Amino acid sequence: MGNGWHGKVLRVNLTDKSCTVEPLNMEWAAAFIGGRGLASKYLTSEVDATVDPFSSENKMILATGPLTGTYGAANGRYMVVTKSPLTGTIACSNSGGYFPCELKYAGYDLVIIEGKAESPVYLKIKNGEAELADAGHLWGKTTAETEDAIRAEFHGDAKVACIGPAGESLVRYACIVNDKHRAAGRSGVGAVMGSKNLKAVAVRGTGGVATADNAAFRAAARDTLKMLRQHPVTSEGLPALGTAVLVNIINQSGALPTRNSQCGTFDKAEEISGERLAQTFLKRNKGCMGCVIACGRVTRLADPRFSGAGEGPEYETLWSLGAACGVSDLAAIVHANYLCDEYGMDTITMGSTVACAMELYERGLLGDADTGMPLKFGDADAMVRLVEMTGKGEGFGVRAGLGSYRLAESCGAPELSMSVKKQEFPAYDGRAIQGMGLEYATSNRGACHVRGYLVSPEILGVPEKLDPEAVAGKAVWAKAFQDVTAVVDSAGVCLFTTFGIGIPQVTRLFNAATGFGYSDEQMMEIGDRIYTLERLFNLKAGIDPSQDTLPKRILEEPLPDGPLKGAVSHLPEMLSEYYDVRGWEKGIPTAAKVKSLGLA
Amino acid sequence: MVFLQIYGTLRMMLGGRESVELPCYEGDTVGSLLERFQAEERIAVTHKLIDDRRMLHTGTIILLNRRNILHLDKLETPVRDGDVLALFPPGAGG
Repeated sequence: MGNGWHGKVLRVNLTDKSCTVEPLNMEWAAAFIGGRGLASKYLTSEVDATVDPFSSENKMILATGPLTGTYGAANGRYMVVTKSPLTGTIACSNSGGYFPCELKYAGYDLVIIEGKAESPVYLKIKNGEAELADAGHLWGKTTAETEDAIRAEFHGDAKVACIGPAGESLVRYACIVNDKHRAAGRSGVGAVMGSKNLKAVAVRGTGGVATADNAAFRAAARDTLKMLRQHPVTSEGLPALGTAVLVNIINQSGALPTRNSQCGTFDKAEEISGERLAQTFLKRNKGCMGCVIACGRVTRLADPRFSGAGEGPEYETLWSLGAACGVSDLAAIVHANYLCDEYGMDTITMGSTVACAMELYERGLLGDADTGMPLKFGDADAMVRLVEMTGKGEGFGVRAGLGSYRLAESCGAPELSMSVKKQEFPAYDGRAIQGMGLEYATSNRGACHVRGYLVSPEILGVPEKLDPEAVAGKAVWAKAFQDVTAVVDSAGVCLFTTFGIGIPQVTRLFNAATGFGYSDEQMMEIGDRIYTLERLFNLKAGIDPSQDTLPKRILEEPLPDGPLKGAVSHLPEMLSEYYDVRGWEKGIPTAAKVKSLGLA
Repeated sequence: MVFLQIYGTLRMMLGGRESVELPCYEGDTVGSLLERFQAEERIAVTHKLIDDRRMLHTGTIILLNRRNILHLDKLETPVRDGDVLALFPPGAGG
């Protein structure tokens, strides 16, 4: 079509083994952009919000954006949208690497996967042609083994997104791994894929992405790339140390959730920091396709106990498998991170679940008879063992595969799960960073940092510095960040670009690519529309506003240490303001709001 | 003495050194400590944190006893004997 979108949807029915192509609904594309927004529109239109996520009625949509595969910024993202088996909410997980651009170059904007295969299959896509192939021989293989096998039998240059054994055994936080080390990580999208007996999607695409106004796009891209190359965060901080640089920053700020959020600082943070990783196992940085930031970490383990090579760990993983578990053994964390990639598991929920299990064990709510081993904070060997058991579906690993909420609930102590809507916190304490607490409570996929990353203004001072202890005004910031993120996720752009650019640059790229003439305000309204659409789905799914809350620990137990010792979350004050800012009456979008966004 | 903790790319620039101790004098501020730090190191280091107009780069974090100086008096924040100053050049993640 020559305007960012290809105008094509590939619909794959696993039940009747059909692959059909249909035109993209351009009216919806105009209203929801692509990626997260457009896939959410399709999902909410085609799937009953009350379905069992593991039933054949649930669908899974792989979605690129109109900027995916273009050279404008860091435009190599795709989204996986489905109903989450972890949270029961709408799930949207995104990933970079090379698979997303390849999918776009194969000629599709969206791939809608529906039904359920009788036996394991994988989807082969080659430049507009798609077919299902037997995957019986791949079942049980790790993600890397699967990718190697598919490339050997399908196409040597194919890009592969697949599940590992965790997705097959329906670990509720299984992810979809592409390019071996990138993951659509959160909310259990890999488990949905496993429930459909779909092992992998392999793509070979050699087409391109046409833009409506080539000259305008080139100029916009040139200016955007210049900004990213000049901004100190995107030109130097992220390439040099990656996300791992945050370990010391967040720890010094008293916001590093430690030992299942029992405190906000970790006395051994230095040992698991990005600086230490750079001195030990880091080999080089690496970018996703076409990215000028290149925040990825290529690592190789050189340790008497472990071997191997891969990518990461990222900051969130250093925290979840490290500080959250009281573990300071960096080699063990790197090894466990590799295991999560191989088995296909979200490292945030995995580590948080280990941390929760450790607290349950130390409180006597789990015993050796349950776990099969001592499970105490700081025990790196136990952490690694439990990751392995979960990936393999062995012993206590089966219960750990349910996530921390269901595990803690089964022990009679759901309050010890550091989660919202059954999805675990990422690596920031909501008592020390007030806005993040609000963000966790209101995120449409459960606790999450990449729905509205208020750490950026509250701690990092980007784009401007906010006081993390302050409460007033955080609702306005939360809504703005959530809406911006929805736009960025829908365009196909990496969220990390927003450290260096903003909505004006994304809008300019979008307009040049599509030929549209949206204003920044119109783009922000689209963000609001997407966020509200997701909210409406969750309400229909039975996720009511009473679940916009935080664990008792964060609301009532004062931080025992660090510069913000004594702090608790002031969520109730922020939440009512947030609802007002959103135009939601007691958490429910008003009829007027729904109508004004065109969602009626 | 004031204890400077060095992080991120600044640490890489200084060969992995994690901390530096500097004498503290009457009237010292964060800004004057940074200038003394640079003078002692004999290489340009402050440009990692502040620009030519003595403004902190967007994303620079300087914590005085774990409090961000942007919420104190910025580079004019007084420094006293025994204080800990943590220096983070711009970085980010998520």
